[in-house]
Amino acid sequence: MAKFLGTRVLHSGIALIGLILAVFFLVRLTGDPTDLYLPIDASLETRKEFAHKHGFDRSAVEQFLVFLKDVSQGDLGYSLRKQRPAMELVLEAYPTTLRLAGVAMTLSIALAIVVGSIAAYRPGGVFDRISSMASLAGASAPDFWIAITGILLFAVTFRWLPTSGVGGIEYWVLPIVVLMLRPFGLMVQVVRASMLGALSSAYVKTARAKGVGESAIIFVHALRNAGLSVITVAGDLTVGLINGAVIVETVFGWPGVGKLMIDSVIQRDFPTVQAAVMVTAMAIFLLNIVIDLLYVALDPRIRHQ
Amino acid sequence: MNFKNFSFGKYSNRWLTGAAAVAVVFGMTANLQTVQAQKIVTVVLSEEPEGLDGCNANRSTVGRVAKQNIVETLTAIDPKDGAITPRLATSWTKMSENTWRFELRKGVSFHDGAPFNAETAAKAISRTMDSKLDCETRTKSFGDIKLTTKVVGSHTLDISVNKPAPILPTRMGVVSLSSPNTPLDKLVLNPIGTGPYKFDKWTPGQEIILTRFDGYWGKKPVVEGARYIWRSESTVRAAMVKVGEADIAPNIAVQDATDPTMDFSYPNSETTRLRIDVTRPPLNDKRVRLALNYAFDRDALRGSILSKDIEHATQIVVPSINGHNPALKVRAYDPAKARKLIAEAKAAGVPVDKEIVIIGRTNIYPNGTEAMEAMMAMFQSVGLNVKLRMMEVGSWLKYLTKPYDANRGAILLQAQHDNNNGDAVFSIFNKYACGGAQSSTCDKPMDALISKAATQSGVQRRDAWREVNRIIYEDLAADVWMYHMVGYSRVGSRINFTPSISTNSELHLEEMTFK
Repeated sequence: MAKFLGTRVLHSGIALIGLILAVFFLVRLTGDPTDLYLPIDASLETRKEFAHKHGFDRSAVEQFLVFLKDVSQGDLGYSLRKQRPAMELVLEAYPTTLRLAGVAMTLSIALAIVVGSIAAYRPGGVFDRISSMASLAGASAPDFWIAITGILLFAVTFRWLPTSGVGGIEYWVLPIVVLMLRPFGLMVQVVRASMLGALSSAYVKTARAKGVGESAIIFVHALRNAGLSVITVAGDLTVGLINGAVIVETVFGWPGVGKLMIDSVIQRDFPTVQAAVMVTAMAIFLLNIVIDLLYVALDPRIRHQ
Repeated sequence: MNFKNFSFGKYSNRWLTGAAAVAVVFGMTANLQTVQAQKIVTVVLSEEPEGLDGCNANRSTVGRVAKQNIVETLTAIDPKDGAITPRLATSWTKMSENTWRFELRKGVSFHDGAPFNAETAAKAISRTMDSKLDCETRTKSFGDIKLTTKVVGSHTLDISVNKPAPILPTRMGVVSLSSPNTPLDKLVLNPIGTGPYKFDKWTPGQEIILTRFDGYWGKKPVVEGARYIWRSESTVRAAMVKVGEADIAPNIAVQDATDPTMDFSYPNSETTRLRIDVTRPPLNDKRVRLALNYAFDRDALRGSILSKDIEHATQIVVPSINGHNPALKVRAYDPAKARKLIAEAKAAGVPVDKEIVIIGRTNIYPNGTEAMEAMMAMFQSVGLNVKLRMMEVGSWLKYLTKPYDANRGAILLQAQHDNNNGDAVFSIFNKYACGGAQSSTCDKPMDALISKAATQSGVQRRDAWREVNRIIYEDLAADVWMYHMVGYSRVGSRINFTPSISTNSELHLEEMTFK
């Protein structure tokens, strides 16, 4: 196990270095950010002075050497746009994204398992048809539209929920529902398909013949075997969310890393982009290791390999 | 649980009751979050300010929070007519071509207790003009103009400029003064000024809180404090005011301004145009430039994809700005005349078939892309070979500002300019003079007139700017003029506040009262 973990960490570290290098040079290919920082009416002299002062007139390689020197001193850069250390901005925003992703994915997985399992238990039945339609609609609905419609309906028309913002549990309802729709819809389909295969297998027939209860057959025997594909899909969807739930963060005013990253890219705030990519990549690497460990826990064949 | 006997029907009543209870609880809680019954105003902005340093208060995101609320200026510009009024200075006198003497208000102190006098004012001006800080006030409004100060008395300050400064009192309307205890070497997130409100707290990503300053020199404002929050989506901002979660959304999109009892339109001092590159064929021929103007059906966009409240423009400054020329008449839509002009140009050997590219900027104003598509179609319909290329702001800026690409083709640049600083000087030089950073024209006689106008004052100055605007419009036809734009604000039902031209960049809490 230690060797397995060591290998994964090593691979992740190499990938992280490659990613940082790629991001560093790619963002600089988008151009000198001087024009975006200064007012449109700033004179040419002012622009030259600004670019020189902040090193934007140097080559990308020169800037990289300065970056390496700063990183070796623990300095990951300063956001000119926000006038604060870039890593501080990212670490401030990241918990919001993690909270959103964590709650949305936990609820999505739990609900999808229940709904998908019930649907697979009686394929073609009323519940199966309704859940299939609902999950397809959820997976394909544009979240921006759902978010705005949800606000207009539940906050403006019915006045049941706040429009947006961060606060008590009532502030979580709309963002979480919007975030859940797509993962829930996709995972219901995956759980259903996996469970259909598992429920028609020989070991389930054997269990039934031995008189094992139906709920035990579904949630103990069949679900465990169907779990691998669910974990794969859930892992992929979670990666998407911890990259930042940009739409939800933007519409509902949740100050997460997705919106921070988008704003930083548009404003060419290079240090913040680099810091955000670094933190996000580390989170994704960690998540992938956790998923690998879950595979091992669920499937003895992988453990033995 | 036996799934063979599972049914949702028998649980449905319980589920519905539970859902209703949850909804009621949420509804009550949500309502508790509203700002009713307090004398605190909640303002929902379109984005979080990048910082709050007083020397950046000319930036609209900073100015809406800080300018004249936290930090104040020596003079102020009346939004109605552009007149200069006293603020921290009570009077001013011209001492020479380059120097003005300002008498400062007595009995004023900064929020940190530091006294406001000639020395502290001089220190604040010096900090703003220091190139170490990249203050927007300096980079946007002063450029190569250098200010120096001389303390004459405890509350008497001479301010000199390195070139003739006939409108220095107007210029001082953009210089916000911060406490002498503000660091000189870095921008701050917690400004300290003399205004009616002091900075209290900033929770990054969530809110900024201001509280009323009891030691304010002026009339005590009714509003006791303000909470600033931000939402990117206009629909959400409008909804927040509608349900009482916020009191004012200073900037909402036209499609969200659907409630006549809450929504106000105001001229936002922005003027839109297509800047014609007059150096490149076929645009170097005046007949082609006029043809573009006659081919543009201005009424077609108004009230359809753009607001019905916008006004046709003939020049870069809005009517309230000194130097606006009211005599210039809008060129009426006349496609036949446009075709005739193009035919004449073609007969004279102008390559009218050459490709002309509209360089547009995404999100420059609501429905800006659709407006460009419509204009492209209008130009094509009179026989011009026009293409549209939309760009994000970073790429677009390369076309806006010198040095221009030597290999560029014939370009029409989608542009928008904001001037609510009282005088045409803040627009004309940069946009039209030979040395202007964003100029595509270079007309020597007009250049001389621009230089002369910048040194004049009073009626002579006004008339000189009017003549410059006439030359640009009639003699050069250097732009395809579009509109003087409007903004929309939504004001909640418990607040008395009328948005004005300054709402685009400032939001004065002291002007607000409760119903």
